[in-house]
Amino acid sequence: MIRYILNGLPIGAIYALVALSYSFIYAASGVLNWSQGDMVMLGAYIGFTVYQILNLGFVPAFFISMLAVAIVGIGIQRFILRPLRKSNAPAINVTIATLGASIIIRNLALMIWGPDAQLFPFPVSNKPISMGSLSITPQDILIVLIGILLMIIFQYFLKKSKEGKALRAVAQDRYAAVLMGIDTEQSDRSAFGLSAAIGAVAGILIAPIFFVTFNMGAGIGLKGFVSAVVGGLGSVPGSIAGGFFIGIVESVAGGKISSGYRDAITYTLLILVLWLRPTGLFLKKRKQKV
Amino acid sequence: MNKNKKIYLLIILVLLLTLPLFVSNLYYLHIINLVGIYTLVTIGLNILSGYTGQTSMGQAGFFAVGTYVTSLMMMNFDLPFFLALLIGVILTSIFGLIISIPAMKLSGPYLVLATVGFGEIVRLVLLNWTPVTKGAAGLTGIPFPEIFGLQIKTEKQFYYFIIIFVILGIYIAGRIAKSKIGRTFSAIREDDLAAEAMGVNVAGYKTAAFVISAMFAGLAGGLFGTFSGVTSPDSFTFDDSISFLCMSVIGGNKTIIGAVVGAFVLTVLSEALRVFQGTRLIIYGFILIFTVIYMPNGLVGIIENLKSKILMKKENKSME
Repeated sequence: MIRYILNGLPIGAIYALVALSYSFIYAASGVLNWSQGDMVMLGAYIGFTVYQILNLGFVPAFFISMLAVAIVGIGIQRFILRPLRKSNAPAINVTIATLGASIIIRNLALMIWGPDAQLFPFPVSNKPISMGSLSITPQDILIVLIGILLMIIFQYFLKKSKEGKALRAVAQDRYAAVLMGIDTEQSDRSAFGLSAAIGAVAGILIAPIFFVTFNMGAGIGLKGFVSAVVGGLGSVPGSIAGGFFIGIVESVAGGKISSGYRDAITYTLLILVLWLRPTGLFLKKRKQKV
Repeated sequence: MNKNKKIYLLIILVLLLTLPLFVSNLYYLHIINLVGIYTLVTIGLNILSGYTGQTSMGQAGFFAVGTYVTSLMMMNFDLPFFLALLIGVILTSIFGLIISIPAMKLSGPYLVLATVGFGEIVRLVLLNWTPVTKGAAGLTGIPFPEIFGLQIKTEKQFYYFIIIFVILGIYIAGRIAKSKIGRTFSAIREDDLAAEAMGVNVAGYKTAAFVISAMFAGLAGGLFGTFSGVTSPDSFTFDDSISFLCMSVIGGNKTIIGAVVGAFVLTVLSEALRVFQGTRLIIYGFILIFTVIYMPNGLVGIIENLKSKILMKKENKSME
């Protein structure tokens, strides 16, 4: 049992990052970006290109990938969210438009990098280190560490920086924030850009676990979204907890019950959580105001 | 209904019934038949999302249940098509009833994700329950329907077969929309708390909307299985649910006719774009984005805007 929990940690850290990116956009701008999973895919491909093809090194791969994907995220805010806000379109239109963006990004990636899965090994060993009956690879340790590091930096940014404070204000009460002179257009932009960059890191981290493919975004995006909702959509600590929780549940369900039904178990759990605790497992219940 | 409207309806009906005489290309007829099946799914979705304000991104799940149950009833128990279809529709409705239990309390992204989860669970069960569903390989040799000893098997026969269901579906959905139930659905969409305060049984009506949408998807699924002859879990993915949602929103989800327009335009568009091969889906994505930004109420919304503009002009003239 402990073995499966340990195995669930690296994927859990990745889910946590993706969950964070969904939650962050939802909290700051009140919408969902359905192309968030494709930011993960794009991050993995750009990281792969910088590290494996251009040979510019492992650390630069992270920064270049984050920057490039952030620009794509801001582009989505600028060319999709902004016009939709201006025309007062219903929320479902944002969903369809970002799904449209997801289709475009996925197929552009297919044109650029081709249909074959790419291998993206990390510069650390993939040999398991044994501790009694348990074992973990240095690669997994690195994935979890980078994930946690990014979460800490992100939390620090939200709490301490001026931009972070503005974002939290908008998340709490968009209308009041406007009255206080906060530029909500700017906060939309920061939310989309930062979330995309977080997604990019998740993409690089997942690359050595799975192969990099043009359609990897849909699956990881959904799992990240599920994690966010199970943990508490819109909350940073809730999303992180949700990510690790789903990662561990998947690992245990896949190992102990059935690998074929693994995802079905995750989704059943999701529906149960939504039914019994719609605000997520790790948040206090809130009542709807009239 | 005024006289003009009756004449228009008659013309449309005659056109629909004589359509196969003009369309000799079997491929085109095949696409039109698919449009008919997708129209039924989209009608259900419009009642759920356009009328009641509940979004489903798992409609492919209901569609799949309808397809598999109807097909398996015919294959394993030698049931006639109509009986198999009835069982398929009833079972799909039961699924709609079950999913409405958690869905009743949910809205926005939570409801969306719950329906996504439902759709994925159905697909994964179809994929893994191999003894019954044949797993990833899917079902082959689904029998053709038979009415009064006549087997429906050519594209033309299927056209008439499907069009009857579509016309009936539009008629029934139209009746529901105009009835007290339809108006209550709209009241719930506009403000469910206010509706509740006025004494509306919101939970009951939300459940009804889910069951109706599931019935339409199940009916469409039953037709889809026998029409295709083969089926596999690949036809019922998250992407298929999204595509149904796009049909509903792009056609215009606040009217029944919007479902017909949406199913027609998107199915024909995605076929027509095949000439672009690799860039096909990229263009498709751009069209989706463009439509929801510049036509926020769908294609039918645009037509209605134009209509009211023309009417206003006429009125202005008569006033002068």
